[in-house]
Amino acid sequence: MAQQEKTETMEHLESATLEGKNKVLGFWLFLAAETVLFACLFGTYLALKGRNMGGPTAQELFDLTLVAVATGLLLTSSLTSVLAVNAMNLRKLKGVIFWLVVTVLLGLGFLILEIYEFIHYTHMGHTFVSSAFGSAFYTLVGTHGAHVTFGLFWIVGLIIQVAQRGITKETAPKVFLSTLYWHFIDVVWVFIFTLVYLLGKVG
Amino acid sequence: MATLIIVTVAVLFLGAILTGGYNQRFLDRVKNSVVWDYITTVDHKKIAHLYYFAGIFYFVVGGIEALLIRTQLISPGSQFLTGDAYNQVITMHGTTMIFFAAMPLFFGLMNAILPLQIGARDVAFPFLNNFGFWLFFFGALLTNLSWFLGGAPDAGWTSYTSLALNEFSPGPGIDYYVLGLQISGIGTLISAINFIVTVINMRAPGMTFLRMPMFTWTTFVSSLLILFAFPALTVGLLLLMFDRLFGSNFFDHSMGGSHLIWQHLFWIFGHPEVYIVILPAFGIISDVVSTFSKKRLFGYNSMVFATAVIGFLGFMVWVHHMFTVGLGPVSNSIFGVATMAIAVPTGIKVFNWLFTMWGGEIRFNTAMLFALGFIPTFVMGGVTGVMVALPAADFQFQDSYFVVAHFHYTLIGGTVMAIFAGSYYWWPKMFGRKLNETLGKWHFWTFLIGFHLTFLPQHWLGLFGMPRRVFTYNDVPALANINLVSSIGVIGMAVGTLIFAINILQSFMKKADASADPWNGRTLEWAVPSPAPVYNFKQLPLIRAFDQFWVSKQTGKEIEPAEPLGSIHMPSSTYLPFLMSLALFIAGFGFITRGFAMAAVGLILFFITMYIRSYEHDPGYHIEPEQLKGAEKEAKA
Amino acid sequence: MEKENGANVHNKSQTLRYVIAFAVMVVLTVIAFYLVATNVVTVQLLVPILLILATVQVILQLYFFMHLDQKGSGFPILFMFTGAIAAVVSAVGIILM
Repeated sequence: MAQQEKTETMEHLESATLEGKNKVLGFWLFLAAETVLFACLFGTYLALKGRNMGGPTAQELFDLTLVAVATGLLLTSSLTSVLAVNAMNLRKLKGVIFWLVVTVLLGLGFLILEIYEFIHYTHMGHTFVSSAFGSAFYTLVGTHGAHVTFGLFWIVGLIIQVAQRGITKETAPKVFLSTLYWHFIDVVWVFIFTLVYLLGKVG
Repeated sequence: MATLIIVTVAVLFLGAILTGGYNQRFLDRVKNSVVWDYITTVDHKKIAHLYYFAGIFYFVVGGIEALLIRTQLISPGSQFLTGDAYNQVITMHGTTMIFFAAMPLFFGLMNAILPLQIGARDVAFPFLNNFGFWLFFFGALLTNLSWFLGGAPDAGWTSYTSLALNEFSPGPGIDYYVLGLQISGIGTLISAINFIVTVINMRAPGMTFLRMPMFTWTTFVSSLLILFAFPALTVGLLLLMFDRLFGSNFFDHSMGGSHLIWQHLFWIFGHPEVYIVILPAFGIISDVVSTFSKKRLFGYNSMVFATAVIGFLGFMVWVHHMFTVGLGPVSNSIFGVATMAIAVPTGIKVFNWLFTMWGGEIRFNTAMLFALGFIPTFVMGGVTGVMVALPAADFQFQDSYFVVAHFHYTLIGGTVMAIFAGSYYWWPKMFGRKLNETLGKWHFWTFLIGFHLTFLPQHWLGLFGMPRRVFTYNDVPALANINLVSSIGVIGMAVGTLIFAINILQSFMKKADASADPWNGRTLEWAVPSPAPVYNFKQLPLIRAFDQFWVSKQTGKEIEPAEPLGSIHMPSSTYLPFLMSLALFIAGFGFITRGFAMAAVGLILFFITMYIRSYEHDPGYHIEPEQLKGAEKEAKA
Repeated sequence: MEKENGANVHNKSQTLRYVIAFAVMVVLTVIAFYLVATNVVTVQLLVPILLILATVQVILQLYFFMHLDQKGSGFPILFMFTGAIAAVVSAVGIILM
C-alpha cells in the first residue's frame, strides 16, 4: 500500500505537496475565469465582424495557408509541452529542458507569423482603428497573442530555473502550471481558427 | 519630465530591492515597525484588518457623497450641487459604495473568519492574499484621486457608452473609473481564487462540505460568482479603455460599433455582482441568527442548495437591467421569468431564518438586532425586486426612483445591515474586545429609522414620476415634500454611522481581554483565543459533526485534535506584492494622463517584480511546540 | 513496475497516448480546414460541423494534454464545465442581442 502511494506521489510530483495541490487547483480556477474572458471577446468579435465600414472583409483578408501553418506550430508546441511534463515525472531533467525549448521555439515561430500577418493586414487597410471589425479582430487575436508572449517569457524563465535547481517539489508545480497555461492558449486558438478564420473565409 | 522622474524612481526601486537598503539601523527600525508589519503581512487575520478599515474609510467617503446628494435634493431648484458636479458625486457614490466599501468590508470579515471556521491555519495563497489587498488599495486610491486631479467620473457607476466615450466625456474622469476598477478588479479575482482553493483543499479532517458553517458556504459560492463574473467587467473596461485611449471602435456607431455591447458586458458582470454582495450577507445572518437563538440553523441542506441555486441563476438574468433597450418581447420574457425565479430560493432562506428563531432562546444583542432588522428590510427590497422583474411594469419603473428605492432596500437593508451584524458578532474574534452594546443599540435604532425614513418615500417618488440621476425636480408638493422627508432621514443614518465610529474608537481604548467564546457560539472560530494566535490552531481539530464546537461543549469535552503537537510551518512576510501593486498603479496613472512612457515603465516594473517573485526561494519559518507550550503556561499562570 | 526513481512503464505508455491524441487533433484540424477550403458543405451545415470539430478537439486537449483524465480532477472538471456554460451564455447573449 505504502509503495503504491509512493508511486502515485512520485508520478505526479506537481501535486506531491499541499502547496502543489493548491497551485494546480488555483490555476484551473484561473483558467475557468479566462474562459469567460475570452468568451466575452469572442462574443464581441462575432457581433462586430460584419462591420468593416467599407474596408477589406474577413474573406478578403484571411489566408488559410498561413493560418494552417500557425495552427500546426501551436498544436505541435502543445504536444511538446506535455512531453516536457512527462519527462518531468520520469525525472529526466534533460528531457524537460529539451521539450520546453522546442515548445518555446515553436511558440516563437507562431508569434512571428502572427506579427507578419498583422503587418500585412495593416498594409491592406485593416487596422485597429479602421472599423469596429478591425478593433474587435485585433483585440481578440491580439489578446491571444499577448497571452502567448507572456507564456513564452514564463517558460523561458522556468527553463533557466529548472536548469539551475533541478526537478524538485518546488519547481515541478511551476513547470506543470506553465504547461497547463500553454495548453489553454492552444484551446483558445482552436476556437480562434474556427470562429475567426474558417468562418470568416466562408462569409 | 514625468518620464525622467518615473525612471529615476524606478531605478531607486530596483536598487532598493536588489541591495536591501543601505542604512542597517534605519532598516531595522523600519522592519520592526507596525506599518511595515502590515504592509508585508501574509497573515489572513492582519490582512482582514486592512480590508476592514479600508472598507470603513470608503463607506464614510461614500456616505459623505450620499449626504451631498440628499442635501442638493432637499428642495427643488437648489443650487448646492448641480450639473456635472452632481453627476460626479452620484457616480462616485455608487462606485465607492459597491467596489470600495461593501466588497472590502466583506473580504475583511471573510479573511478574518473563514480559515477559522474550517479549521485551517491560513488561506491557500498567503502571498496572493497580500497582493489582492494592495491591488484593491491602489485601485481605489487611483479612482478617488480623480477628485483632485482632473475630475471624477460622471457617467454613473454603470458608465454607459456612448456617454462614457471621449465625445461626451472628454475629461480624464472615466479613465480613472476604467483603470482604477481594472486594477482593483484583479485583486478581487485573486482573492476569490484564494477562498475557493482554501475551502476545497484546506478544511480540517472531518470537516466535510456539508458540515461547513453558512458563512463559509456563502463565501465559497460568492467567490465562484466573482470568478466567473469579473472577467466580463475586465473585458468591458478593456474595450472602453481602448475606445477612449487608442481610438478603437467597439462602442462607436459611426464606425460600426454598438453601444449595447457595453451594457451586456457590464451587466453580465453587474448582476452577479449584486449577488456577490448579498450572499455573504445571507451567510452572516445565518450564523448570527442561529447563535443568538441558541438553536441549530433550520434546514441547513436547503440553505446550501438555495445558495447554489441563487448563484447559478444569478448568471442568467442580466438582461433585466436592459428591458427597455429594445431587445424584444422574447428576450424580455425569458429574463423576466428567470429573475422572478430567484425569489424562490431567497424565500426559502428567509423562512429558514424564521424557523430557526421559532422555539429558540433569543438574545437581543446588537448583532441580533441588526439581523432582525435585516430580515424585513431585505424582504421589502426583494418584493419590489419582483415588481421590477416584470418587463411590462419595468417600462414604467426603469430609471425612476422606484428602482433607487428597490436597490437601496436590498443593499443597505441587506448588505450593510449584515456587515454591521457581522462586525458586532466577530469584533472580539478580530480584535480581542467587544464593541459596546449600549452604543450598538443606539447605532442600530438611529440607523434603521433613518434608513426607512430616507428610502421608503422614494418608492412614491418613483411612482410619481421622478427620474433618477437628476439634480433637481419640479416644484410640486408631492415631489418636494417627499424629497424633504427623504433628505431628513439621512441624518439618522449619519448619526448611526457616527455612533458606530465612536464605538470602534472606544473599543480600542479598552484592554484586549475578550474571552475565546464570548457569545456561547456554535462554530469553530470560537474554539480559539480572541484574537486568534498567529498560527490559529495549536493542533488542527478533528470534526465529527455539524456545529462541532457546540456539540463538544454540550458533551463537556474539548474538540479532539487531528494531529499531534508539532512544529508549525508559517509563511514569511513579503514586500513584493506591495511593489507589484504600486507598479500597476503607476501604469494606470500613466494611461490616464496619456503618459505612455510612464505606463510602459509601470508595466515593465510589474513584470520584473513577477520574475523576482518566481525566483524567490523563501521556505518560511517554523513555530516549535516549545514556543506553543510556553505561551500556554503563561496563559495559565 | 519499477519504482526506484518514479520512472515506470506507466509513464512510458503515457507518451504514446499523447502522440495518438495529437494525431487525432491534427486530423480534426485538417478536416476543418479542408471543408472550408473546398467549399463542399453549405454554410448552414458548416457552422455546427466546425463547432463540433472544435469542441471535440478541445475536449481531447483537456483530457489528454491537461491531465483531466487522472483522478483528483473532479473539481477542475466541474469548474471548467461551469466556466464553459457561463462562457457560452455570455457569448451567445452578446451576439444575439
